[in-house]
Amino acid sequence: MIMPHLPRRALLAVTGLAAIPRFAIGQSNERPVITVAVQKISNSNTLDFLREQSNVGTRLSTLFTERLIDLDYQGQLKPKPGLAIAWRRIDDKTVELDLRRGVKMHNGDEFTALDVAASFSPARMFGDTRPTVQGKTLPLTGAMVTTARTKVLPPEIPPVARRFWPALDRVEIVDKYTVRFANATPDVTLEGRLSTTSSGIISGRAFDEAASWLDYARAPVGTGPYKIREYRPDNMLILDAHDEYWGGRPPIRTLRIVEVPEVSGRVNGLLAGEYQFACDIPPDQISQIERNPGYEVQGGTIPNMRITTFDKTHAQLRDPRVRQAMTHAIDRTTIVESLWGGRTIVPAGLQWPFYDQMYVPGWTVPEFDPAKARGLLKDAGYKGDPIPYRLLSNYYTNQVANAQVLVEMWKGVGLNVEIGMKENWTQIFERSPTRGIHDWSNSASFNDPVSSIVSQHGPNGEQQQYGEWTNAEMNTLSVEMETSTDRPRRHAIFGRMLMICEREDPAYTVLHQTATFTAKPKSIKWKAAPTFAMDFRANNWG
Amino acid sequence: MIRFVAIRVARACLTILLVVTFAFVVLRLSGDPALLIMSPDAPAEAIAAFRHAYGLDRPIWQQYLHYFGAIMHGDLGQSMRDGRPALSLVAERIPATLVLTVTALVLKVGIGIPAGIFAALHRRGWIDRAVMALATAGFTVPSFVLGLVLVLVFSVQLRWLPSGGQESWRSVILPVITLGAGGAAILARFTRSAMLEVLGQPYIRAASAKGLPWGAVVRRHALPNAAIPTVTIVGFMVGSLIAGAVVVESVFSWPGVGRLLVIAVSNRDLAVVQTILLLVASTMVMSNLVVDLLYGVLDPRLRAVHK
Repeated sequence: MIMPHLPRRALLAVTGLAAIPRFAIGQSNERPVITVAVQKISNSNTLDFLREQSNVGTRLSTLFTERLIDLDYQGQLKPKPGLAIAWRRIDDKTVELDLRRGVKMHNGDEFTALDVAASFSPARMFGDTRPTVQGKTLPLTGAMVTTARTKVLPPEIPPVARRFWPALDRVEIVDKYTVRFANATPDVTLEGRLSTTSSGIISGRAFDEAASWLDYARAPVGTGPYKIREYRPDNMLILDAHDEYWGGRPPIRTLRIVEVPEVSGRVNGLLAGEYQFACDIPPDQISQIERNPGYEVQGGTIPNMRITTFDKTHAQLRDPRVRQAMTHAIDRTTIVESLWGGRTIVPAGLQWPFYDQMYVPGWTVPEFDPAKARGLLKDAGYKGDPIPYRLLSNYYTNQVANAQVLVEMWKGVGLNVEIGMKENWTQIFERSPTRGIHDWSNSASFNDPVSSIVSQHGPNGEQQQYGEWTNAEMNTLSVEMETSTDRPRRHAIFGRMLMICEREDPAYTVLHQTATFTAKPKSIKWKAAPTFAMDFRANNWG
Repeated sequence: MIRFVAIRVARACLTILLVVTFAFVVLRLSGDPALLIMSPDAPAEAIAAFRHAYGLDRPIWQQYLHYFGAIMHGDLGQSMRDGRPALSLVAERIPATLVLTVTALVLKVGIGIPAGIFAALHRRGWIDRAVMALATAGFTVPSFVLGLVLVLVFSVQLRWLPSGGQESWRSVILPVITLGAGGAAILARFTRSAMLEVLGQPYIRAASAKGLPWGAVVRRHALPNAAIPTVTIVGFMVGSLIAGAVVVESVFSWPGVGRLLVIAVSNRDLAVVQTILLLVASTMVMSNLVVDLLYGVLDPRLRAVHK
């Protein structure tokens, strides 16, 4: 048998080519088919972003829908033009937006002001609800623009929509390419609210023509870079490139999002070459994956904080000094280094840099000071009575390990905290003498404290709704924060809120910023965004 | 015979009623579906609207009566996740599960029973020891461990087979092996034990003594008598066809009833959980009924008792 002569360099080149994954070979001639393995596609089995209020919903919704005001996913989440190219204030209740022209929706229609009105209509969003502020219904000053009521909204959609738009009065169509958002009360956060995933724009015609709400919600028609071809709940979502996308031809021909609940399944599928992206990788798996020289893990902090909340009605926690002691007994840096491998950060309280002018510089989480913690406990007369800690089994990444570390840190200053494992949130929130502390996470859906500290710890926030904590001054300030247009005053209010909730009368204590990780072959040039959303547009590929 | 069947059918109905009632009470008392499906961050008004829409704000006994009345009219309720009828949601997952469980059942019976017979016929020989060693390994290794090992070898290292999903016929191979290995091992051990017991009986010696060839003795006298305990085990396996692959479906991301059950329980999607339990209980009860009837066919003495 005669072997053909191959120079060593040529041989290396040939074997090197064989090692390149199939999707990369196809890239030169046609766009690749990419498979992304996720733990969960949608909790609600729908793709409607008002129904699917979850991190997993955020991850995918920006693939097929867009907002009027977009966020800079490759930067610091600063607002930038999306489906609106410019916006201006008419007054402190009204924003006018100029819409982008020539944008094609997935069904071939041209995107116009009618689609904006339909997206924010009672038929799609608000049902029969009216604008409210702090529980008070306000008189309507104008009629909402409505589309034909062809379908029944799930009952929870209008209240969810009102959380994001509590006082939106109407959307006015000025002309085909100009709309106005008119609020019932002054609100400086209207632009921020327009940038949330819940303010995504859908095709009014497609919504009207869908046979039922569920038919619409299984395949929303938007303007995003990818359009939905098929959705099989709990299994797979297939999206095709929307070649008429205004932002440039999408780089991926078909995106297959597959649901793989087990971490091992996602990692094995990635290493076997079946998936090009494996999402929701826990920190302890990162070094295992990166041991393979062809793979890397991307990602990092997102606009979400892991916190521990206090029930101040519990006998041992009534005295704020006990709660203060708990906040000073935590060595957050050690938690970040040991449980997260240093891949997240200890933030400056419940605030993010993208708050921009509302950010409170110089603010920090309570310093780790065991001596101070012991002193506070002594002053409070704490006798070592048990404080119950209701815990879910890793609902959050590293949750159980984190809880065990916290209990030991608290024990170190004389606090007797007892973990009680619970199965679900009902058992966590159940009102009884055994409710003391529990874990939670807080997000900021837009760039203002109204979206976090007010929404989550103010009078309508979960903590107060479940009767764990309340503070009269915080409640007064929350109302002022929502309605004031005096920006320096709002900034001062936010600083005071942080002081109340994190120092004087602790409602919670921030542990660390949440981080999320995605594994992929190094050969794919893609960058994870500082949010759950995955950006597969042309400017983030290759 | 009619009385025999009637008693078993009545017992089966009572079993199904108890299963459904127990599941109803436990699921409703241990978690609020509104909070679990909508997340703890949902506005209080949204949670209240959700509860009202699905009748969760009514006393539990009223909910039970409503649920029971609806079942009697063939309405198994709606999924609280997306509002679809629970029955159609479950029904569309059944084929995927049956592909795994029926194929695995064929594997279990096709390997386990012959291996058990073979081992018994070579008692204390190296074949017997080898078969029993494999059987012990087969049912002591948990299915999730076996599944992961198979994936590491055949998907990650060799890249011969997919690591999960339901893409093609090749996707079936690893989950079926994982599911079938334990069952085949159990059947092999039971069949061997039953065969050894029968082979020691006087009528086997008598059959041999009257000059019947050994193969005919085994076929005509040993196998039918050893079949009863094996049929009982196979009956249990048939009964678990609908939801017997919970772990394997999770390990291999297989979109079947088992995974739906896990998701539905964690979300307290009551109608879906109860529909699956109803189907599982019905299948198990039906399978036991058939096994009871088969006893009569296999063992004439039992027929005589019920005459």
